[in-house]
Amino acid sequence: MTDAHPVILIVEDEPEIRRFLRAAFGVEGYRVVESATGRRGSIDAGTHKPDLAIVDLALPDIDGIEVIRRIREWSPMPIIVLSARVQEQSKIDALDAGADDYVTKPFGVGELLARVRAALRNAVRPQSGASVLRFDSAEIDLERRTASRDGEKIRLTPIEFRMLTTLAKHLGMVVTHRQLLTEVWGPTHESDTHYLRIYMKQLRQKLESDPVQPRHLLTETGVGYRLVIDD
Amino acid sequence: MRYSHGVSPKRQWIGYAWAAAAALACTLAGFAMRPRFDLVNVAMVYLLAVVIIALRFSRGPAITASVLCVLAFDILFVPPQGALTVDDVQYLLTFAIMLAVALIISRLVESVRDRAAAQAALEIEAETERIRSTLLASISHDLRTPLAVMAGASSSLEQSGERLTAPERKALAKSIFDQAREMSEHVAKILQMTRLEMSAIKPDRDWASLSEIVGAVLARLSERMSAHRVIVELPDDLPLLRVDATLIEQALGNLLENCAKHTPPGTIVRVRAQRSGEEIVITVEDYSGGLPERDVERVFAKFHRGAVEGAGTGFGLGLAICRAIVRLHGGRAWAESVPAGGTAFHFSLPLEEAPSVPPEPASS
Repeated sequence: MTDAHPVILIVEDEPEIRRFLRAAFGVEGYRVVESATGRRGSIDAGTHKPDLAIVDLALPDIDGIEVIRRIREWSPMPIIVLSARVQEQSKIDALDAGADDYVTKPFGVGELLARVRAALRNAVRPQSGASVLRFDSAEIDLERRTASRDGEKIRLTPIEFRMLTTLAKHLGMVVTHRQLLTEVWGPTHESDTHYLRIYMKQLRQKLESDPVQPRHLLTETGVGYRLVIDD
Repeated sequence: MRYSHGVSPKRQWIGYAWAAAAALACTLAGFAMRPRFDLVNVAMVYLLAVVIIALRFSRGPAITASVLCVLAFDILFVPPQGALTVDDVQYLLTFAIMLAVALIISRLVESVRDRAAAQAALEIEAETERIRSTLLASISHDLRTPLAVMAGASSSLEQSGERLTAPERKALAKSIFDQAREMSEHVAKILQMTRLEMSAIKPDRDWASLSEIVGAVLARLSERMSAHRVIVELPDDLPLLRVDATLIEQALGNLLENCAKHTPPGTIVRVRAQRSGEEIVITVEDYSGGLPERDVERVFAKFHRGAVEGAGTGFGLGLAICRAIVRLHGGRAWAESVPAGGTAFHFSLPLEEAPSVPPEPASS
């Protein structure tokens, strides 16, 4: 995992897509393992122990979501899903099944590489995630539960802290509505999306320079939220 | 089925009621006339009623009217009154004529109705055909152009890549990427419109925040809107909406893309929203001189493009998709000219009472 050449498993049936992914990852110094079917992919994940898996949702034999489940049975490795635009719901199902992020086809290689880097960075971080978040003018210490903006102390509520902590655990990656609701309010509230809308608005008002066009607490419409902190 | 064209069961029932009412009305008129008029004139009044019922309703009520009229006429007016004896053969003839008139007229009316229905069906077919050919024309233009660019640029890279300078190679590769992305969006829009038309999309409603949707759209379109000056004006106390956020994001995005596409760089584009009774009205307006009045009314029609056809105008599908999505949510979409010169695109969404969020215990 700390290897200078991380291993990427690509589970994708389209040879042309594997071809450009192989080229793009190769140039960036990754080693690539390719599987053309879901079953093969599930096995390759066990034998090659990759640092990260990229799984296409529409595979010829078993569903991409099933591949994710099989990997999740034994490994926390980051999984990024490739989904077509019409698969809105299966994208969410994949994330709820344990995928860490997604890229919608057609995608540019730059976008995918950015997601892969974020996922790998996150995987090597301690389990608690980043503990100090720096926004444009705000700074939040999740461990000590303090926050300030322009040097002045600001108050965040316990729920706001819990939301930030959950998002920070998946820094740079998407967190679905259900994941966020379950982790912050508990499983009985997994469909109370209106809670998220209200608290996210409060958080943005406290932390973002422009709450309507946020730069850190991003909305993934219909899916969830993503916390992005510049390096 | 031919007799049932355009006649609903309810209307059929109403027809019988009218037949009875007409017979009753004629009878009353007959009693009023009787002291001064001949029996034959009373018969004429009944005949008129039968004609009117036959014209307005289908065959059943017409026959009913003629039977009721003859019975009433015979029992109440033809001597001996109060009995159903027909001692004069001529009233049998009256009965036969009334029935014949009822049948002939209702038959005529039905054939006219049949023809009108057939005509309407033909018109729908012609309209479908027209839309299909417009769609095909749009597809071949708007998809062929990017395909031509992609084929040309990629083949030059393949054939003479080594002899090109690095910036040239990069420019060719970038144009392939840009065109592919553009085309992918065209295809997605065609697919989306088709699914909307087939009612294959069921909105997945959940509580959503309009300002989040606006923020997400602006982030998605930041590159495309970079030459425009976008101003967002949202009241701070906007209620949550119960909508399919993904679809509303598309609807709003299509309006913004439309502004980006059809107004010159530097144009001010304003996104605002306001509560109006039980709905919320979202507006995207540009200050670019505006559309001709004729276009303002038609702008949301499918495949309508501005007056200028050509590359970069897109399918004109974006606004039609926007309207279809808004209608799916029980709202309306319309456009109007802005007095200062420009076009405002509005859409409304019905508001629902949002559930409350339990207050958080005082912070630790």
